[in-house]
Amino acid sequence: MAKANRNLRNFCIIAHIDHGKSTIADRIMELTGQVSKRDMEEQLLDSMDIERERGITIKLAPVRMYYTALDGQEYEFNLIDTPGHVDFTYEVSRSLAACEGALLVVDATQGVEAQTLANVYLALENDLEIVPVINKIDLQSARVDEAKQEIEEVIGLDCEGCPCVSAKEGINIRDILEAVVKQIPPPEGDTEAPLKALIFDSYYDNYKGVILFVRLKDGGVKVGDKIKACLSEKTYEVTEVGAFAPFLQPKESLLAGEVGYIAASIKSIEDVAVGDTVISAEKPDTPPLPGYKKVQPVVFCGIYPLDGSKFLDLKEAILKLKLNDASLIFEPDNSVALGFGFRCGFLGLLHMEIIQERIEREFNLEIITTAPSVSYLVHKTDGTSFYVDNPSHLPPVSEIDYMEEPIVEAEIYSPPDYLGSIMELCQDKRGVFKDMTYLDARRVKLEYRLPLNEIVYDFFDELKSRTRGYASFDYELVGYERSKLVRMDILLNGEICDALSLIVHEERAYPRGRTLCENLRDAIPRQLFEIPVQAAIGGKIIARETVKAVRKDVLAKCYGGDITRKKKLLEKQKEGKKRMRRIGTVDVPSEVFMQILKTNKD
Amino acid sequence: MPGIYLHIPFCKHKCTYCDFTSFPDRLAFSEAYMACLYKEMELLGKGLGKYTFDTVYFGGGTPSVVDPKYIYGAMQQLRKCFRLSEKPEITIEMNPGTVSEQKIALYKKAGINRYSIGLQTAIDEQLAELGRIHTARDFVYACSLLKGENFSADVMLGLKGQTEEDLFKTIELASRCGAKHISMYALTPEDGTPIYTDYLNGELPDGDEVRRLYDYGCMLLKERGYLRYEVSNFAKKGFESRHNLNYWRRGEYVGLGVSASSFLFGKRYTNTFDLDDYMKCVLSGFAPVVESEDVEKEDAKFEFIMLALRTEYGVSSAAYRAAFGSDWKEDFGEAFQKMRAYFTEEGDITRIKEEYLYVQNTILTEFMNG
Repeated sequence: MAKANRNLRNFCIIAHIDHGKSTIADRIMELTGQVSKRDMEEQLLDSMDIERERGITIKLAPVRMYYTALDGQEYEFNLIDTPGHVDFTYEVSRSLAACEGALLVVDATQGVEAQTLANVYLALENDLEIVPVINKIDLQSARVDEAKQEIEEVIGLDCEGCPCVSAKEGINIRDILEAVVKQIPPPEGDTEAPLKALIFDSYYDNYKGVILFVRLKDGGVKVGDKIKACLSEKTYEVTEVGAFAPFLQPKESLLAGEVGYIAASIKSIEDVAVGDTVISAEKPDTPPLPGYKKVQPVVFCGIYPLDGSKFLDLKEAILKLKLNDASLIFEPDNSVALGFGFRCGFLGLLHMEIIQERIEREFNLEIITTAPSVSYLVHKTDGTSFYVDNPSHLPPVSEIDYMEEPIVEAEIYSPPDYLGSIMELCQDKRGVFKDMTYLDARRVKLEYRLPLNEIVYDFFDELKSRTRGYASFDYELVGYERSKLVRMDILLNGEICDALSLIVHEERAYPRGRTLCENLRDAIPRQLFEIPVQAAIGGKIIARETVKAVRKDVLAKCYGGDITRKKKLLEKQKEGKKRMRRIGTVDVPSEVFMQILKTNKD
Repeated sequence: MPGIYLHIPFCKHKCTYCDFTSFPDRLAFSEAYMACLYKEMELLGKGLGKYTFDTVYFGGGTPSVVDPKYIYGAMQQLRKCFRLSEKPEITIEMNPGTVSEQKIALYKKAGINRYSIGLQTAIDEQLAELGRIHTARDFVYACSLLKGENFSADVMLGLKGQTEEDLFKTIELASRCGAKHISMYALTPEDGTPIYTDYLNGELPDGDEVRRLYDYGCMLLKERGYLRYEVSNFAKKGFESRHNLNYWRRGEYVGLGVSASSFLFGKRYTNTFDLDDYMKCVLSGFAPVVESEDVEKEDAKFEFIMLALRTEYGVSSAAYRAAFGSDWKEDFGEAFQKMRAYFTEEGDITRIKEEYLYVQNTILTEFMNG
């Protein structure tokens, strides 16, 4: 057996948002001479505009580096960057499977955060060696010893001699690299065994086709090899292999233990699923590696072009995004109110927001999005059952025997001061209390079972505002439960607006309908006639508000000098109208379709 | 027939709602400015030999604040540079706090035959709040000097704390003092004016309240024999402002002075808003125009509709056809059908229904391109 390279280290960085993960990655690259400072853009790994603006990482970004350690030997590092947000947990688990170790970055001023914990547990499940790193020691408010103590108490990691650094100031970065060499084990694997490579990510390149990000567990791969994707059973001829430097850098071959990329003129990203195993086409019986759980979308919404004639542009945009984001699910949809568009599935609310933003920004398209929904399991009286995520596709009440809704188990971490209001919030959202644990004097963990459809509305915003941003929150889908759900329709001037229909729990329907009508009343601009805004369940009106007719909309004076000015004013008014959709006889601003998100009055 | 507008950008004190080009602290410049105005007439008059003008309008600022000899001089110069019709309507705007017997005598000598007096409200506290320099009593005095003359009074709606009773008192005062014409404007809080702060703080009546006052005001005016001939303008029969009617018929006009605008040969021109630039330009023999816009045919059609629908006379299909050679109900087919419910049609004439006159912007936007 030919062992994998002993001087190889594959690792990732786990950190809470803002704790300095990307900055640390930058410093490590700088120190290993990977990127010259001159070329380096701030936070190189976060390359998408949105990532940099929001200070978050969405896509994985691996980098290979060389480091000459204090022992005089040269080591090859593969750093795989990971996203930090709850929606992208699956991405984290993917990168973890490609590593032997993880740096756990903790902000010395803030200590361990809920999100960090969730990912640490994920890393521990994957048998990774975890190296704690205390960051931001240069700040006045740094509490290095407390942070260490917290890591030891909460996670049970030994922090004796762990690197204490300031990524921003470049202090003690070398300590991190030495810890990587000493504490993280080299990969195992047999370079002469049949090829087994885990696909941990992919993206579409216009010239090379799909680029697979792989971690080789056994064997090797080089240009000209015939490979096969286990799940789709499709075979390809390898056209290029290489490392991430951090841009693609071709090399002769990849061997067991290494992280790199494979290009093989792959046209469809669907055929090479993330989590699948690449094997040699000549040894088709090689058993695949245990992959990841297939990601299921949990949040759905309709996306429509603001300008109905831009449907094809929207289609192209979504197809392009899909090439780089296998987790985005979509199908064409048609709404009476909004025309042609797409029903899309997302991993969570942030994922949804990011996709919406990317469509608007990268493709310069204005879109209307409907309120997010979840997938319900509908059992019909005729014994059949199926999933429905679009409220307007729900069969008539008479045909429904009962419905089930997705349930999550949520963990909320917060200082104890806010317990009362968090519990109140969970109660409001039909939550069932499970457990409460004091992690230390300043941190409590609350566990709740909550219906997912209550979370996709404004739960997170509410939680943040009720706890002044202190609470953090994570959840996991645990299954479906029978529930009394009804479809609530919204009528504008007597006509049902299908894009505003939603599925709610029976008990919540009345207050929800009332708030919704009130919000819509405030959001719909006054028009030439009075507009009744009604909420109805199965034909029965449960709430009503009225948008009064406009009473004054006139320019008082219009003489010689005012004519041009008046035209400009009217043009502006007309522009505003363009941002609206006409539903029956009513002009509705595009933002309104998201209004039903809000369960509270503004 | 075309009209001439002269802008006098001076005043004693800037009103809190004023967004016009006026310079309260530069009255000392008035002599130099008027000299420039004469010069501009000379420059412009040369090219307009074929025109006969039917109306002249001195607006501001406060035209009555400058020495009346300059107004007299302006009229003399104007007659030299432009041809006027046989019985032109010549109007001057006046602030009731700036009138005197001598002034009016000189105005009459200059040929002025119509006066527009800024009353705004008969409630002195509200006048003070607006930064007006006069009281209701000053208005009464001004009217007494104008006995027998054709004068108009400006009335404002939407003042802080204004009640129906306040409006009643105001209209009653204007009517009793003999105004032949009343303009009733809703206060428009413009960004940058002191009153805008009140607006931001919600201290001014909202649109619904202004509408209520407007409807009430319309009723009072009707009772007193003032007929609405435009959204904000009411007159005893035969006393409509010819100068303003010309604007709404999309007629041509010449604007003289700082910030004035002209509409000639299908083009809209705007003079500079800067007093010093204006004077420099004119003195060096250049037109002080800072903006000129060719009005495309489609745009012209919309202007025609937009202006005509402000008036009681509405859109005349014949007048439209004469101007553009087509049928307006076809040119604006889709919008017209959609909005038809808000119009009354009587033969050749289409008007906005009375109850929708005050929400006409909403209707008009349907008639815009794109």
